[in-house]
Amino acid sequence: MDMKRDYYEDIQLLDSKVLWFWFLMLIAALVTLPFVTPKYYIYMANYMAINVIVTVGLNILVGYTGQISLGHAGFFAIGAYFTVLFMTGLHLPFLLALVLAALVAAFFGFILGLPALRLEGPYLAIATLGFGMAITQVIGRWQLFGGRMGLETPSLMFFGLDLATDTQRYFLIIPITFLMTLGARNLMKTRVGRAFIAIRDSDIAAETMGVNLTLYKTLAFAVSAFYTGIAGGLFAFVLGFISPSTFNFILSIYFLAFVIVGGLGSIFGSIMGGVVMTWLMLELDKVQELPYIGELLISFSENWMSVSGLPNVASIIFGLIIILLVVFEPLGLYGFWIRTKIYWKTWPF
Amino acid sequence: MFLQLIISGLSFGSLYALIALAMVIIYKTSEVPNFGQGEMAMISTFVAYSLLVSYNHSYALSFVGAFLFAAALGAFLEFAFLRRAKDPNILSLILITLGFEMVLYGVASWKWGADQRNLPFPVSDFDIINLGPAVISYLNIATLLITLMLMLLLFLFFRYTKVGIAMKATQQNAMAARINGIRTNRILSMTWAMSSIIGAVAGMLLAPIATLDPNLMLDPLLKGFASAVLGGMTTLVGAALGGYILGIIENLFGGYVSLEFKSIVAFGIIVLVLCFKPSGLFARHYVRKV
Amino acid sequence: MDGGNTTKDAFFSVKSLTMSFGGLMAVDNVNFEVKQGTIFSIIGPNGAGKTTIFNCISGLYVPDSGQILYQGENVTGLKPHRIAKKGIARTFQNIELFSRMTTMENLMLGRHIHMKTGPWSGATFHRRGSKAAREEIQHRERVEQIIDLLDLQSARDQFVGALPYGTQKLVELGRALALEPKLLLLDEPSAGMNSEEKQDLIFWVKDIQDELGVTILLIEHDMKMVMDISDRVLAINFGKPITEGVPEEVQRHPEVLKAYLGEDESIGHAA
Repeated sequence: MDMKRDYYEDIQLLDSKVLWFWFLMLIAALVTLPFVTPKYYIYMANYMAINVIVTVGLNILVGYTGQISLGHAGFFAIGAYFTVLFMTGLHLPFLLALVLAALVAAFFGFILGLPALRLEGPYLAIATLGFGMAITQVIGRWQLFGGRMGLETPSLMFFGLDLATDTQRYFLIIPITFLMTLGARNLMKTRVGRAFIAIRDSDIAAETMGVNLTLYKTLAFAVSAFYTGIAGGLFAFVLGFISPSTFNFILSIYFLAFVIVGGLGSIFGSIMGGVVMTWLMLELDKVQELPYIGELLISFSENWMSVSGLPNVASIIFGLIIILLVVFEPLGLYGFWIRTKIYWKTWPF
Repeated sequence: MFLQLIISGLSFGSLYALIALAMVIIYKTSEVPNFGQGEMAMISTFVAYSLLVSYNHSYALSFVGAFLFAAALGAFLEFAFLRRAKDPNILSLILITLGFEMVLYGVASWKWGADQRNLPFPVSDFDIINLGPAVISYLNIATLLITLMLMLLLFLFFRYTKVGIAMKATQQNAMAARINGIRTNRILSMTWAMSSIIGAVAGMLLAPIATLDPNLMLDPLLKGFASAVLGGMTTLVGAALGGYILGIIENLFGGYVSLEFKSIVAFGIIVLVLCFKPSGLFARHYVRKV
Repeated sequence: MDGGNTTKDAFFSVKSLTMSFGGLMAVDNVNFEVKQGTIFSIIGPNGAGKTTIFNCISGLYVPDSGQILYQGENVTGLKPHRIAKKGIARTFQNIELFSRMTTMENLMLGRHIHMKTGPWSGATFHRRGSKAAREEIQHRERVEQIIDLLDLQSARDQFVGALPYGTQKLVELGRALALEPKLLLLDEPSAGMNSEEKQDLIFWVKDIQDELGVTILLIEHDMKMVMDISDRVLAINFGKPITEGVPEEVQRHPEVLKAYLGEDESIGHAA
């Protein structure tokens, strides 16, 4: 038996012909999607991709390294604002501005990671909460960032092409998402990822086995912030306009919800979580347009609640999803996926 | 101006103290900071508003009704959700309280919308007394008095009543409490009910000076948490003191340094305290044997 | 100069180690010296301070006073990961495995200090030939050898949280071995094992000593095992050393007998 091939399979991404097939199908679907669906869905796909990047990034920190962050909207904001500012103020090309902005986010992630070395559980949660809100407050009041009015994103010039439509941006965003997700998956399968998981499961043992906690905990924060920063930068262009009210505490909770729904500690879960929750978020925005439920809700609103407040149903549903998932299926969609697979495998034929 | 800032600081400090107390009460027994507590307070305040304005009940009835609602809400949340968590690690518990937060925020926004309202209150913020160069409003006085009274009641409650002592026992060692015949589940529900009522008091004292909308408690929640962190999340007295200290520092900062960035003080405090003395200024630091 | 048998070139020595927790003296002036390639056991009743000594050596605690010298170097108070890098590994009394990783992955973490892959190369490996992939494969081969040595093949790809207790203890041993230590601290490795497993364990510990040349510090309650494999033994109680010497001497020492069993019983009967 070829020993080398044996071990490589352990870490290889696609270790069977079947997986390769589905993988190529996925790529084909992604490539052809914009040509066969209405424009709105391309916007949705872009949004989904961005949320997948955030979810993966946050999962690295929370799911794999076992930390908590209630302030990731802050990194998202940093990515968005700094990308725009680097482009408009320093006239940097898009890709460079994006990466630099993400590095700024990573730097702040590192800073946030420092107190995290001594804090755990609720204290860490509150510290990250404070951080996230502080960022929003500072951005909201500093004229450099456009203050309360926000900033308009410039046109997205990519190697001379002006990517002005959702479809054009799609072909930039999807590959970036793809690469970053792949990168995260690889990272988790190698030395650094193992160190992260070790910190989660037993940081004492990890340390006595040679893992430098200071280095790796701050690294986890920094990597997670980097991912979120990239997503933020892309987000600025999908939206066209950024203002501080977008990057609030609720957004941080939404990000956490994405991770939980998808499944802690699973890249695949993060993809599912990001996709499903974005879809849900966008659908619930127009909840009154749903076939039966919409009318039901409208009449209910008229009698008991306020009709104008109807979109807040989204908040209620999200909250319930979080609670129910945590209570019943902490492994999220990934957990469901595994259970379904096992169920089908043991189906008596 | 200094005196005015102090007065204002004490007034807000009372509110922060109340929120901090509410939070510490739950933290000590359920071991989770209740991130939903702001919205619990907010929705109870809205219930008071509803009873007062839509149904035209008296102050007494409306406020009592709101408190009953708050108690029921708190007990229900603990009983129905928190208790059922399959995996009681801190992240799960925090997420559940965040879930409460979102649901309650959604319900309140749906029912009452984003219109800004004003909560009628028996004591007005506009009736003032002159204290030398500064003014203090009736509402300020009422806030201070009510908070102090509440703190005194809590002190007596925990010291002298059966239930209060049972709560302390549950917090220190749930297993031992159970063995001694304490119904810990009921105690937990009661703890949440109590915390919810205190939060509702804070909400109702805040509403007359702020505008009553679903965002009422978002900022104060964080300040309350900051106070608890400052004073010590495991001590009631510490948390309350933390509230007053934060209120005063924040106001002084706003008056002398920058009004714009006043809110950042709370976060700055959180970061500083957590970096240097995570257990808080007044909490006893227990050395745990690893 | 400083009392006892301290020689300049002792492989590992602990001098006047003292550690207290808020008034409680957990370790009180403990001294011992270990020659390279030997097995040195520490025995004593529960709560005598044995694990505390280990924790001081590992760097988890910073002792109040005293010195820990390893290969002539003062390693007192160094952070745990630095201690690990110097080649000191340990197992824990209450298992501290990474419960949501497989056996293989747990052992691979033992290779952490011998690997170099960082975040960038880790994220970007894309084929066999890349640096990260080659390193992974190379170290997996090493880990496989340990799995073979300890008979852990059946547990290789299982989550360690689901393994039986005795197997978990072996995985912890394997993880410590994966670090390629020169000094190995074993904290009650046979606790919870049945007699068959204990036999195997004795075998393996001796193997580790003979074939891998590892120096071993052992905390054990199983006296038979201690007498069987130790080169020297230190007995402590209430944090204070009682006596130190070859197993037969320590076994007969009256204070030691009293500490364990009261008067008039020989330890040889305890198992």
